[in-house]
Amino acid sequence: MNVGIIGNGAWGQALATLAAKAGHQPRIGFRGDRPSGFPGTPNLAALVGDSEIVLIAVPASAVRDVVLSADLDAGMRVVLATRGLAPDTGEWLSDLVLKHTPCRRVGVLSGPAVAAEVVAGRPTALVVASAFDEVCLATQSALHSEQCRIYSSNDMCGVELAGAMVRLLGIALGIAEGVDLGVGSRGVVVTRGLAEATRLGLALGAQPQTFSGLAGVGDLVTCAASTNHPAMAAGRTVARGGTLTEDMLRETRAVLALANREGVELPLAQAVVAICTGEMRPRLAFDDLMRRSARSEG
Amino acid sequence: MTSPPLPGVTLTTHLLINPSHRSIDKALFARVDALLNSMTDAQMKAYLSDTVYLERQRFYADGVTDSDESAAIEGLAHGIHDGPEAMRKAAQVLVKSYSHEIHNRFSERTFGAAMKLAPGALKRLLAPAERGAWRWPDFAKGDHIQVQGPVDKIRALSKTHTLVVAPTHVSNLDSPLVGYALHMAGLPPCTYGAGLNLFSNPAMSFFMARLGAYTVDRRKRHRLYKDVLKAYSTELIARGAHSLFYPGGTRSRSGQLEPHIKRGLLGTAIAAWQEGLQSGNEKPEVLVVPCTLSCSLVLEAETLIEDFLAGQGKSRYIITDDEFSHPTAVLKFVRQLLDLNASMVVRFGEPLDLIGNRVNESGQSVDGSGRSFDRRKYVCDSKDVVVADAQRDRVYTNHLATSLCRAYREDSVALSTHVAAYAGWSCLVERYPHLDHYQRVLLAPFERWVDRTRMLAAIESLLDQIAQKVSDGEMQSLLHEGPDRAEKTLTDAVAAFACFHSRRTLEFEDWRILVDPKLSLYYGNRLSGFDLQIGDES
Repeated sequence: MNVGIIGNGAWGQALATLAAKAGHQPRIGFRGDRPSGFPGTPNLAALVGDSEIVLIAVPASAVRDVVLSADLDAGMRVVLATRGLAPDTGEWLSDLVLKHTPCRRVGVLSGPAVAAEVVAGRPTALVVASAFDEVCLATQSALHSEQCRIYSSNDMCGVELAGAMVRLLGIALGIAEGVDLGVGSRGVVVTRGLAEATRLGLALGAQPQTFSGLAGVGDLVTCAASTNHPAMAAGRTVARGGTLTEDMLRETRAVLALANREGVELPLAQAVVAICTGEMRPRLAFDDLMRRSARSEG
Repeated sequence: MTSPPLPGVTLTTHLLINPSHRSIDKALFARVDALLNSMTDAQMKAYLSDTVYLERQRFYADGVTDSDESAAIEGLAHGIHDGPEAMRKAAQVLVKSYSHEIHNRFSERTFGAAMKLAPGALKRLLAPAERGAWRWPDFAKGDHIQVQGPVDKIRALSKTHTLVVAPTHVSNLDSPLVGYALHMAGLPPCTYGAGLNLFSNPAMSFFMARLGAYTVDRRKRHRLYKDVLKAYSTELIARGAHSLFYPGGTRSRSGQLEPHIKRGLLGTAIAAWQEGLQSGNEKPEVLVVPCTLSCSLVLEAETLIEDFLAGQGKSRYIITDDEFSHPTAVLKFVRQLLDLNASMVVRFGEPLDLIGNRVNESGQSVDGSGRSFDRRKYVCDSKDVVVADAQRDRVYTNHLATSLCRAYREDSVALSTHVAAYAGWSCLVERYPHLDHYQRVLLAPFERWVDRTRMLAAIESLLDQIAQKVSDGEMQSLLHEGPDRAEKTLTDAVAAFACFHSRRTLEFEDWRILVDPKLSLYYGNRLSGFDLQIGDES
């Protein structure tokens, strides 16, 4: 199977490793440095033209450019392995493909895999979600091996939202750690954060069980347990008085804007945005959350 | 009024879509047989047992004890017990009877007659001179029926592509209206499925038959019948017959634009397209033409909103006792409706491919960036061979449904009656914020009024918002402009509402407006979903 991977970062290399492990010879489309260990090409259009499945693993802010320059056509199967929302417009990354190209067979890949561990040969699992069974099957065929189990789902909206929420909740976890709220607070952030994600997901038509799967609990537990997860690191920086990158800040705002549009209340996400934009001090924001009236967990 | 020619309507087309019973029977046998062959014996048994169960249930409910239909069903029941071969044969008997029933009205008396008589006869039928007390509606007077949209483009495409016209559905009068609009736009007539109950009105039956209607018995709810219908639709499209489906499935009970799209018949278009591609058909391409109907008044408004409020939309899927079943009511309605200006707008939308992309003048699909592309690849594998995949096609049909819903919104034309009714209902909501919808519609007559000044301010605010949405391309409108536009809108609407319904939707009374909650909810619902606000009372 011809597997094309766009993106030569750590995640792109990790996916190429998984594809090789599954018995394929992946090619990497790159823009900067030539990939090491795998054949690569800077000609994205040629890469996707030769590939039976294309995995996109570039930062969220670069997805639009890549999608436009790759010249995706109606016959292609494209899977976005990038989590989050388009930072500039707050759109779903899958919508960028649907909006700007004729390609309809789109999926998203998410889960608790950590790039460095994948490259080191550690076992992991991911979930691919697409409305098209054939996209799920092609992704499983491209990446499933004894090192990585690939589960499938038809809930693309849920998996995509879970990815975006995990990034936001990762920042919350980093802030909680940075202001020394204790280990117990991580459990609170994880469970209440996922409750918020599920609420928003339901409003958007996602399936609630997606948030207790690999893309939700799985990814967030990994994030909470990892010392150098980018979102956690960003949260710790904020707790120390630093700022988020512009893209990350826009993305967190985009999640909140989405919730506002749907009329869903996300107190934790709201507090994260207030802290990150400098509207509230971290301690004060968490105190506010704790002062909310008692309620049922459901 | 001069009748435009009917390009695209040729004898060849007629023969293609008016096949003999034998030809249709054979085609449907083959399709249903292929379906049954794709099942295991156990699956087929469950599938056909469901048919027996649902039909027996219907016969029981209708008090049918002895009929050809019940005999065929009992034959199938015996077949199910006698093994796979007997089961298959009994199913074929049923398929043949369904094939005849569906295709029966689709004959020389129906579609063929339309081909031969149109366009001259259609004009005479729709706009004859006054005949005593029974004056036929004068469609030719003024701009009663406006036909809008890229009709030149659609007409050109109809010569090289098979069209599936997909209108919104508010009334049983929609089919004659769309038929007339197709004629006025110089577009070819379409075949379409009409419920058996619609043939109960002799006048409308006459029109519908001539507009290419075939019969759909919506009382039959089992899968075998639905699959025969789908096979029939696929066969017609594959033969190049322009078709018409109502993607909403049934008339909107609430008055809202199609909130849901039914995928069943729409999905037959993509099946027919792929068959055409696989068989090397000369004209395999199929396009969908959204068609949004906007009417000042709706004949069955009172029944439909009652049905919606009673929450019986599903159970009374087939309404047999509404205004449409009374010929005199239909004629009175049409005649009075046509005394109003700009009473009906039929707006054809940009043609779409079967995945929901727009197409250019030559019928090529274009993406969101305006680039044309080869849509055949949607259904091909990596070796460029057309491959059937029912799951994939269902998702494609979902994409098409999304595009259709968007087109309906963008092509929806706001009329005076919609705006005034929306304002009337919203003012009632403002006056009675503590009540829910169901309580508001039961307001006593002395409670059903709003201040005229407040009503005019609400209309003014709505007109502003609608104008903005029209300029943003989010909707269309045919409304008054100028400084006294709110007053004119209200006056127009009150006059329109006074002309047909037994209860007046809006009525002037001194300094206030009397508002019928149910009808204002129904007509105002046409604008729901556009996020319009009536502004603050102050």
